Amino acid sequence: MNVKEYIESGILEKYVAGELSEQEMLEVERVAMQYPEVKAELEELQEALRVYAKASDKTPSKDILEKSLLGIEKGEEERFMAVLNESDDEVKIKRVNVIPVWSIAATILLVISLGFNYIFYSQFKQTKERLALLEQNNSVLAEKASNTEQELAYAELRVAHFMSEDNIHVRMDGLEISPESFANVFWNKKSNAVFISVDQLPEPPHGHQYQLWAIKDGQAPIDAGIFDHNQLVQELKVIKGDVRAFAVTLEKEGGSPIATVDKTYVKGFI
Amino acid sequence: MPSATQSIPTKTAIETQIVSLLCQQDKQSIKLIFDYYGAALLNVISRIIVDRPMAEEVLQQVLIKVWNNAATYDQQRAGLYSWLVAISRNAALDKRKTRDFKESQTSKMAIEVVALENKLSADDSLEKLMAKQLLEQLPNKYRLLIDMSFFEGYSHQEIADKLEVPIGTVKTRIRTALKHLRSFV
Repeated sequence: MNVKEYIESGILEKYVAGELSEQEMLEVERVAMQYPEVKAELEELQEALRVYAKASDKTPSKDILEKSLLGIEKGEEERFMAVLNESDDEVKIKRVNVIPVWSIAATILLVISLGFNYIFYSQFKQTKERLALLEQNNSVLAEKASNTEQELAYAELRVAHFMSEDNIHVRMDGLEISPESFANVFWNKKSNAVFISVDQLPEPPHGHQYQLWAIKDGQAPIDAGIFDHNQLVQELKVIKGDVRAFAVTLEKEGGSPIATVDKTYVKGFI
Repeated sequence: MPSATQSIPTKTAIETQIVSLLCQQDKQSIKLIFDYYGAALLNVISRIIVDRPMAEEVLQQVLIKVWNNAATYDQQRAGLYSWLVAISRNAALDKRKTRDFKESQTSKMAIEVVALENKLSADDSLEKLMAKQLLEQLPNKYRLLIDMSFFEGYSHQEIADKLEVPIGTVKTRIRTALKHLRSFV
């Protein structure tokens, strides 16, 4: 390349004046890097224009610089506020740089706090589990106690019936249908009330109920009442006259006016 | 700003210093850019925004953009000046999009070259005074060309139209004007 021609072409003046496109400017910079003569020419040109600008009051007003610096400071303030308000990743990094001490301290405190939280939570969980277990045991015991109490009440009542001198006691034993079964009848001589103690009878099938019958000579069995299948000594009907025996049959729910004799479970003579 | 009597730092030295300060996020870099490139950038902006106060407003925004975009400057790709010119042009074009700037240049440019001695004021430094005295030796027709091309945003074509001379003549005269100028400073 002919350096002299290049300089004479006036391209450097155009470069300084801003007449060239961005690509052309980059090209001039490349040439200047390569040819010290071009570079020197360019520098002298710019320097001459600077001196000229200053001497002939062509430099821009200092107000422009001051306003720019104010604008830059304002921008920095806004960005700083943004750091405090937003959670942008890039900004976060800056935040650590600005206030590292308290953020590290806060992190340490947070970790310690989390540690304690874990310990306390574990303890709390264990205690809660133990309490639940105790509560469960307690309710089992309470139920047992309640059952025992009820059983005791039944037993006491049965014993009272056995002991009572007013009662005629009839033990009914199991027949062929159910040889293992037995039950007791107490017949109060004063009130003629009949009580039954269900000691051992199989659970009645669904839709069926046991019924007590009083048996007199030369008569059909007399209904003495239906009863529930539980351990309580239950008061049934009032039966008067010369009863020879008591028997329990399985009847349909609600009882029957006529005894189903072939379903007699237990029977006992006075 | 170096004076004619001091040893003039090379452009490379100034450019390196500015780029280095810019990388260190030192605001001194903006001051230096303003001192060394302010007039040239205002000239570039004036090519797009004719209205002077508005062009100055754009220069103000350019300095802020330079600061905010310092990290994007790649020394390997472009010289500092061409980077600054690119930012200035973009800012000026953005500004022109915002409003109607079709103001005629004629109203603004009543080309008057005021005698430099009349413009002297109390705050002028001795250095500036000397430079001004030197410039008095520069013929007015050359000053006019330098002002139009380097400070008032006229393209060579516009100068040719205005002065009613061929564009080739404009180029030659600008070169001659600068040769004269350089012989003084």
